[in-house]
Amino acid sequence: MNVLIVGGSGYLGSGIARACVNAGARVRVVSRRGTAPIGEGLSGDARLPRLGLAGDVLAEVRAQTTHVVLCFGPVSWTSAPGEVLETHAAGMRSALTFLRELPALEQAVHVSSLLALGRAQGRVTNRELYTGQQFRNWYEYGKYCAERLVRDCADVPVGSVRFGPILGPDPRGGRPDTGYGLPAVFPHLLAGYPVHLDGGGDFPSWVTDVSSASDVVCTALTAPIGRGTWTWFDPAMPTLREVFTEVCRAWGVVPRIVEARPLRYLTRVLGERFGLAPELVEYARPWFDLDPGVLRDIPEPWPVPEPDYLAATGRALREPALGVAGQTLREPALGVAGRALREPALGVAGRALRETPVVGKGMT
Amino acid sequence: MSARPVTVDTDVHPYFTVYSAGNFGEVAPQRLSPMSWSLVGDPMERGTRALARRLWGRPAWAEGGYYVFVGYFGCRPYHNLAAYCHLSRAIPGLEPRDVTDAYFEGVDPPPEVGALRTGRVRQVSGASMLLRELREIGPRLRALEENVAEREWGLRAAMTAGSPVGLFGVLRDTRPVLEEAWALHILTTSALVPLGALQRRVYRRLMRHGSEIAHWLSRPRELVWDRLHAAAATMDPYGPGNFLDSSFYEVADGTAPWQDYAVRHKRASTAGAQATVSLLDPAEALRGMLPRWRSQTVRALAVSVGEVMAGREHSKSLAMRTLHVYRRLLPQLCTALGLDAQLWPYLTIREFTDLATDPGLAGRAAPRMQACRAALRTPMPEHLDLSGGDGVFRPWLSDAPPAQRGVAPGIGVGVVMTPDDDLPDEPAIIACSSADADIAPLLPFAAGVLSERGSELSHIAILAREYGIPCVVGYPGAATVPPGTTVSINGSTGEVNILDQSAR
Repeated sequence: MNVLIVGGSGYLGSGIARACVNAGARVRVVSRRGTAPIGEGLSGDARLPRLGLAGDVLAEVRAQTTHVVLCFGPVSWTSAPGEVLETHAAGMRSALTFLRELPALEQAVHVSSLLALGRAQGRVTNRELYTGQQFRNWYEYGKYCAERLVRDCADVPVGSVRFGPILGPDPRGGRPDTGYGLPAVFPHLLAGYPVHLDGGGDFPSWVTDVSSASDVVCTALTAPIGRGTWTWFDPAMPTLREVFTEVCRAWGVVPRIVEARPLRYLTRVLGERFGLAPELVEYARPWFDLDPGVLRDIPEPWPVPEPDYLAATGRALREPALGVAGQTLREPALGVAGRALREPALGVAGRALRETPVVGKGMT
Repeated sequence: MSARPVTVDTDVHPYFTVYSAGNFGEVAPQRLSPMSWSLVGDPMERGTRALARRLWGRPAWAEGGYYVFVGYFGCRPYHNLAAYCHLSRAIPGLEPRDVTDAYFEGVDPPPEVGALRTGRVRQVSGASMLLRELREIGPRLRALEENVAEREWGLRAAMTAGSPVGLFGVLRDTRPVLEEAWALHILTTSALVPLGALQRRVYRRLMRHGSEIAHWLSRPRELVWDRLHAAAATMDPYGPGNFLDSSFYEVADGTAPWQDYAVRHKRASTAGAQATVSLLDPAEALRGMLPRWRSQTVRALAVSVGEVMAGREHSKSLAMRTLHVYRRLLPQLCTALGLDAQLWPYLTIREFTDLATDPGLAGRAAPRMQACRAALRTPMPEHLDLSGGDGVFRPWLSDAPPAQRGVAPGIGVGVVMTPDDDLPDEPAIIACSSADADIAPLLPFAAGVLSERGSELSHIAILAREYGIPCVVGYPGAATVPPGTTVSINGSTGEVNILDQSAR
């Protein structure tokens, strides 16, 4: 198996690269930096024709690649539409065009997200993509566009695997990004701020860990998935309250989860001023009604998430900067508490976060 | 005493002395015959004056014996840049730069004639009158389309019967239709600028990335060109799409020397081909991202701008269809009147209409023919500064170099093709010196448009938005990029990258 991972230098991409290497595959990783923690790094860009590859490298990739994983694009809920569509619509079109040029291609997998379903109504399975849902931000719309394009690409063996929030220590080492997605609320909780959750957070969070998610992608390549759609989450289905509680446990902090609608309103109105993406408020409510039976589309045996990956996520947040060379501290990745924690009086958790550089991208 | 040489030029306005080919320069032929000028420039002037009267009473600067809003120099049609910039100052919240960005490729606006400034009360009342005018666009367009169709049917009947009386009847009845078509085109064209400025301002206040989102949301829901190209495919010689095979603007495109300036890309609709994947529209996607009242405001503005864009294209198509009636009609009547077939392009439409009762008017054509021959030898600049008063054509020297700009958002990557090439198997970027609705049939299959000419609200920008493909205008040398070269264009930022050929 000769795998090309487009966007394989990121959080999930490097996990997939590791899973493929463990499965005995030769792995090439296309990224804009041209470096990869795992596998052979190639400098390219999904938005360019032929992924921006040229010359001998292009010829070699074309001739040898049998499997492709498309997992490019940063996770950002505050991006402008141009940036999002440039990556997820134009980039996906360009990538699909490239797939048509691979003579030995057996299977490609697009790493999608449950966010593509936005605020879908009614029960959702692997079949649904657009059910008249509303999107909360341009990132969700971008993921919808990407999956739509993949589904309509009938002449290429490409399928989609959807994930909810992916947690767990960063496969590249270092501290996970808490800039966007569900992890954006962790610094907020760890600093002792209250968080409003509908129903006290006793609803499925659809999280999984990076290791099992990577294994599912690897299975999708080998099973293969064909032109289908799979959805993967932790079969234990931890609730959002459990996720927060476990992540905070590593810090000796009990999350202040409250059910107070005025707080939700205040967070929406003032959240941005304090560094919290207002869209995050939307995720404090139950998502759509996802049919748990979607897991059955994935051939068994299913991968088993790392035991205690939620607490490991919390512990990873205490890690100093490690791993990927050349990565610098990105302040926005600290999220709300990261910025709030410039204040000295916010306790040990806040100070520890402030002092800890980060690596990596956000988690979907 | 020597006689004053005959000229076809219009007189220079005493105050507004800077002209620009602007929107004419992109899509109209480089030079127009006097007949075509009388069918384009003259009704356009009347329409703009009438609009100014309705908005601001009878402003002194928009009255008088001079052409105020258009000009005809060296057989080239011009807009009066200074007059349009002055008009923009009469609308609250609008700057001359908005006008030059929208239609005049971003050239520097000429200095203001301060003495003619419009008072604040007039400005506000003018803006409210403009909004009222916009409400009537839909019904007026529908009525106009009926009238245009009647003229086409009238022409078919008269031509089929070979009836000169019938042809004269069509000539008589077509003039008010043409004036209404240009009046509507002027109204929609003028209204788009303040509407767009209002939209950007409101969006900036209501949401993050407001300006960029305005770029994505401002698109017509449906343009008339698809329907017309489908009609053209039926090959009906009197059908509504027949004009698409002729030159836009020039009615004497079968006569020398005007045929040399009337170059069109003849394009047939590609039947049976599938358009690109239809994704949910960004305007729909935005629905859930904002609270209800904000969402409704944003969508209402987007729909308004889109509808006016569609109205602009619709009115233009109707003006072109009416001109096509003249294109078919005038040579036939010329024979009926016993006029030399080479001479009619040198008369105005009013003179031609009066020929039946005053045959002596035909004598005006020959000296004009000589004047036009001399004028056609004179190179005419794109932007014209006539403030010297000495009759010398000086270019208007804009401080700002013409900038390439993205006018329809998105990223497009593909191989370059010209509008005359066959569509390649891979994604294609249409590269041309200027583009108009004639390339509309290609757009569903293109990954983008790259043009040397154009502005934010050019016809090609509106078309590209309708088809959801990126468009960059003002890119020097776009037409000379070799076909087959891979390029990437960014319709939001205007960035263009010529990608390495060796990558192929």
